[in-house]
Parts: sequence; C-alpha cells; structure tokens
Amino acid sequence: MMNTVETRVPVTVLTGFLGSGKTTLLNRILTENHGKKIAVIENEFGEVGIDNDLVIGAEEEIFEMNNGCICCTVRGDLIRILGHLMKRRDKFDYIMIETTGMADPGPVAQTFYVDDDMQEKLHLDAIVTLVDAKHIWEHIDDSDEAKEQVAFADVILLNKIDLVAPEDLERLEARIKSMNSMARIYRSRDAVIEMDKILNVGGFNLDRALEIDPKFMEPEYPFEWSGIYQLNSGTCEWVMGEGPDPAMGAALLPLANRGLAAMEATLMDAVLTFSEDEQAVEAGEMMRLGKGQYNQLVLNESGETVFNFAIQEPGYYMLFTEHHPDEFEARLRGAQSVLDPLETREYKPDHEHDEEVTSVGITVPGDLQLDKLNGWLSELLRVQGPDIFRMKGVLSVRGLDKRYVFQAVHMLFDGRPDRPWGNEKRHNKMIFIGRNLDRAALEGDFRECLAS
Amino acid sequence: MMQRKSKSRPSQPLLKAVWRANIDDHPIGLAWSPDGKNLAVAGVSGPITLLDGGDGAVQRKLPGHALDTMAISWRKDSRLLASVGQDGKVRLWDVVTGTQTSEMAGGASWVERVAFSPVDDWLVSAAGRKLRLWNSSGELIREYPDANSTITDIKWRHDGKHFAVSAYNGVVLYDPTKAEPLRRFEWQGSTLTLEWSPDGKYIATGDQDSTVHFWIADTGQDLQMWGYETKVLELAWSFNSRYLATGGGTQVVIWDCSGKGPENTRPIMLEGHQRLIKHLAFQRRGMLLASGGNDGLLAIWKVKKKKTALLVDAVFKAPIASLAWSPDDRNLAVADESGTLSVAAVRRK
Repeated sequence: MMNTVETRVPVTVLTGFLGSGKTTLLNRILTENHGKKIAVIENEFGEVGIDNDLVIGAEEEIFEMNNGCICCTVRGDLIRILGHLMKRRDKFDYIMIETTGMADPGPVAQTFYVDDDMQEKLHLDAIVTLVDAKHIWEHIDDSDEAKEQVAFADVILLNKIDLVAPEDLERLEARIKSMNSMARIYRSRDAVIEMDKILNVGGFNLDRALEIDPKFMEPEYPFEWSGIYQLNSGTCEWVMGEGPDPAMGAALLPLANRGLAAMEATLMDAVLTFSEDEQAVEAGEMMRLGKGQYNQLVLNESGETVFNFAIQEPGYYMLFTEHHPDEFEARLRGAQSVLDPLETREYKPDHEHDEEVTSVGITVPGDLQLDKLNGWLSELLRVQGPDIFRMKGVLSVRGLDKRYVFQAVHMLFDGRPDRPWGNEKRHNKMIFIGRNLDRAALEGDFRECLAS
Repeated sequence: MMQRKSKSRPSQPLLKAVWRANIDDHPIGLAWSPDGKNLAVAGVSGPITLLDGGDGAVQRKLPGHALDTMAISWRKDSRLLASVGQDGKVRLWDVVTGTQTSEMAGGASWVERVAFSPVDDWLVSAAGRKLRLWNSSGELIREYPDANSTITDIKWRHDGKHFAVSAYNGVVLYDPTKAEPLRRFEWQGSTLTLEWSPDGKYIATGDQDSTVHFWIADTGQDLQMWGYETKVLELAWSFNSRYLATGGGTQVVIWDCSGKGPENTRPIMLEGHQRLIKHLAFQRRGMLLASGGNDGLLAIWKVKKKKTALLVDAVFKAPIASLAWSPDDRNLAVADESGTLSVAAVRRK
C-alpha cells in the first residue's frame, strides 16, 4: 500500500530485560513535554490516565496463526486493545508497547502485518531495546530472549553506562554490533535520551530501508589496517617485531592524491590484490609494489625482520596490512628515520563470529533475475524463516528501472519498487539478522540469483 | 461489479429515513429493546443513549462506564439493560427510572462481553478469561474456571437452554444450570465471534486466521471454510437457518446450509463494497440482509437461491459502525463512526 501521507498512528515497541530501565524510559516519555498524546500498553494490570496520556495493562496472549503457507505468532491482546483504542474520539498521537522482560519481540511485530485493522490504522515505527550495560552479560550467552531482543531492534539503548568500565562498554557494543549491525546504538544513563532518537525512527519504513549503519554495509576486508605515506624515491625498510603470527600479508599501492575518490580506488585495488596468489618475501628480500602484488611477509623465528622496497616515483602510497602493525610493533623506516603515516584507517575484519545470532550483510553489483530471487527467498523463508528475524534490502532487478526495496519480519514480507535508479550505480544490498546464519551460503545463493 | 442503481421502475425500492440523530461519539453497540420501543446506543467514551424507536427522541442518557463502554444487552422484558466496560464492571440499568439497579465486578479490568438470556433471567459476562453467570438482581450464580485465553464472544442459543463462548482454541458450550461445560469445539486458532443458527443445529464462528467454521452442535463435527481475505468478524444467519452471510473481505459471502450443508458448495458472492465489510444483519423473519462497510456503504440485499440482488443502498460519511433491524423487521438502525444514527425503512415508491 502506498502511503504518500502517513496518517496512521506510529507504534514503538519497547523491549528489554527486567531492570534495564524500561519503566524509567517510559516515565520520561510520558513526562517529557513533547506535546504528543501517548497511549502506553504495558504488562501491569489496570488502566491509569496520566494527564493527556493513558496507560493500559495487557496480559500477553500469543496466538499461533496459520494463514495458508505462512505460520506465525501474533499478540491477540494487542489486536483487541489497540482495535478498541483506535475507536476513541480522543485520538492518540503515539502508542508505546512495553513487553515483558522475557518477551520475544517477533509476535508483537508480526501483529502489525497480519491484521487488517491494525494495518489500516497503525504502523510499526520501531523496536527499541534497552540493554542493562552491567547485567546483560548474565543473559546474553544463554538467554534466547535477550538475543532476540537485541536481534530484532531498530534502536538499542545501552543503559546504565555509569556502572561499567569504558572497555567493558566497548566490548559490549562490539558484541551487540556483531549480532545486529542494522540497529542504531546509543548510550545512556538513567535512560536519558533525546526523544527523536527513539520515536518516529522509521525502522520498518521501506523508504528508509537502507539507512543502515555505513560501517556495517562497508564490506568486510581481507586486511585490518592501511596507512598513507608520502615517500621519496629511494629505499625504505619495513621493520617487524615478533607477533602473533609467523607471517603477514601486505600490499603497497600508489595513491593518486589524498582525495576520497582516489583512496576508494586504491582501496578497491587492494581488495583485488589481496585476492591474488601470495608471494612469500623473506627477511632482506624486496617487497613488491603495486596492484596485484600480494606479499606474504615471512618473519624470522625471533627478533626483528626487515623487508626492503624501492620507490621509483615519489608520491603518496598506501600500505595495507593483514593485521594491525601494532601487533608486530611494525614501522616504516626511511633513509634517516622512522616514517609516520599521514593517515591510517582500520577495517572491519572478516573474521568469523562465533555468535549464534548474527547479521549478514551482502553487497553485490549486477541485476537480479526476479524469478530466481523469488524462488530462493521463498525456499529460504520456508526452511529458515523462524531463524531469520529481520531482513532489509534494496535490490536491482533486471527489467525494473526502479529500486526494489523490501523488509521482512520472519516470514512476513513487505516490498515494492520505489524511486528510479537514475544516475546511481545499480547494486544490491541486503541485510539478514538471525540465528545460525551461514554467510557463505547466503551470499553464494544470492549470487546465483543474478541474471547471467 | 453489481450495479449500484437499478433501472428506474415504478416499484423501485428506496430507503426512507424515519429519523436521524447524532450521539457525537463512536457507536460501539446498537440494540433494539425486544419490544421495539427503544433503541439503545453505547458510545465508546462511555455514555449510553436511549432513544425512542419511533421518532428518535432521546429518552434517557445513562452514564454507562467512566472508562469506555464495551457492550450492551437487553433483558427480554425490555426493562433492564446490561452494560459492561473498561471500569471492570457489569452494570444493570432500569430504563424506565433511569437508575442503576446493580453493579457487579466482571473479574478483570476490561469487561468486554455481556449477554442476557433470551428466555430466562440470566446474564453472562466475560472479562479477560473470567466467565460469570448472574441473575438480573446482580447475584453471582456461578463463576466458571478461567478460559484458556481472553473470551471473545458469548451467544445464547435461541431457546436459552445453552450458551456458547469463543476464545483462542475454539468454542465451549455451556448449560446455565451446570457448572461443567457440555462440549468443547476445539480449533488451533483464535476464534473471534460466533453465531448460533436459529434452529440450534450449527454454531458458526469467524476466526483470526481468515476462516469460517460451521460446528455441528450435536456431534462436534467441524466444517471449515477457507479463503477469506481477512479475519472474519461478521456473521449473520437467516431466520430459517438456511443461509449464513459472512464478511471477512470486500464481498459478502453467503453459504447455503440446506440439503447436505455448505461443505463443497459454491457460496453466493455479493460485490459492491469498495472497502472491508464490517457489519452484516439479517432480518428476523425476512430475507433482507443489510451489509455495512468501511467505505460507508450500507447495502440491503434480497437473498434468494437463484438470484440474490441488491435492493437498495446508501452511502454514509464515515465507516458503518453498527447495524440492527427492529424486532418487527420494518426498520433498520444504522450508525456510522462519526456518531450519525439513522433509522430507515425500505419502501416501494
């Protein structure tokens, strides 16, 4: 259904374990002076009017629904309560649904897709998950609910950050990103957060299907680090100490200028170079320069190892290394002294995550053949639907001059063509968030759907 | 598509407004008193208005429930009206004096259903999973064990000997004189509404999973009708128990239960609504069927085996909120979501 003007009332689903700060956040939302009339559906019994707002207690009733080939579970209590609420004359501007700490957000989200009355009058804006930054570690390894709440979220609020050390917080954020790289992550104390970070987020809005964390959509690279150096002609030494591995891959590529486009071009060259056959380089030997020259630097058994290379053309160069140079105390030495990089960059490594719940992002150029894609997706959802929590994507379909955007919650799929590609390069981007996802298989099967 | 306007003929039927009113609220229940003298309409915000059935004059305004009224039901003598709402209460009103005669606790914060027996002095209320049987003095006769999920509907058999209750997992049949249920009609799905065929042979249900079921009350046999566009909340039996009209989409789907029953038959399909049908009502002793939809269309159909035809229609400003034929079948009360209330009669020119 195309809605040029959204007249439906937005709904935010608030999840999080007991003690994560949901009630504190709800109270903030209700007391904040935002001029909105809000109805809250929570798990306590009873109904309380707070100024303009309303709090309704609901008893979670999860129903299985069987609709032809689609099996899903929905929240029957929400259909009844929201259906009745929407009849009231004093219309609400916003609806918040608080789930119990142990709730699976799936049925709540699906409720807004399977019931016509819900779809006509309400739209699911986002799933916001509160995480108790201190106590989440007690649940995240063995609680399916905690994992699902993180996996389904559009927005994750790491709350109670004042109770944890900065390095633990970094560790937590990295862990959560590996599970759900689609969500926006914010940090808070006492659930203090700007309202526009959690309300009207557009998490299920197809127009915003791919406003995804750019760091995530960045492909995973075969190297972890690059440094830009300005080098004069002559010889240089790349000195490495002992490190965690006996060898390390490296490539040195010329960089036309310091502009973004030039860096991107060299980056692409580096990706291709790292896919070439490696050439072993031992102590004292010359490293090879340029595109296609993938050096495997073999370290001495102990102590430092020095590799040499010669620069003919003075200018900018980008050195790409498989591991971070700090792990080997590695440095570049010129004729007189150690050369510091002008700029460095770290890359998301393509290490396998051993998380049960993960995100898989696929970026592939080319056009898809629609029948192949449909066949694959329906088979995938049939076999793995319960394990695929959410999907989003922008696709380039052969014969269609518009972008095809879609999003799905489990097996409930919502997609349509949106704007023309125009000058934009046609490409496909997809995100899967789910349990036991096989990245290689997903990407391989997806590539099979490309028009030959 | 069915023609909206039939050819101009001398006998062209038309819908003639008898009276109109406005309650300035979203009507959630429209109920004629059994004697046809009064029409009760409950607004979602709480108050219940009693109007004179003949001319629409407001007889009384009952306060109803402070936090939203959810359902109303008349006692057979037309003197008492029961109401339930989100204040957790079942209330009984004497419509002659305008006073509340009883206030009972439904058992949960939202009391969603209430049904007076058409024959005896009993009424049944449902609040969440709580099912309670009362007499009309407000005395609790029996509390049943909790249903396994929120009760969605209660309907008495026309002879008042049994009542049936729907919830997730189907329908449970009770005899008001017994504590134990008589029978369970189990379905792995959320049953939203039920209607007894007037002869008591079938219990028809509408379900969230876009199915309609015909349960044969005596045997528990289940006939399932699949293929609806949406969940089904609209069911109406013809007085002779032959036809069940169903909504669940933009077409009225009518099953013929004569002969071997509706199974493996092709239903009558009536087109004309542009948006979802929300209400269906058959006459009590006639074959006129009224349908009302989200498109504001009120259509009256004459149901016949060979050619069911649109008799007359009218378009309201807002989606149709409720439909009720008067007990003598002469007038149809229609409410739309803006609160407009109209009592109309089908006349020949």
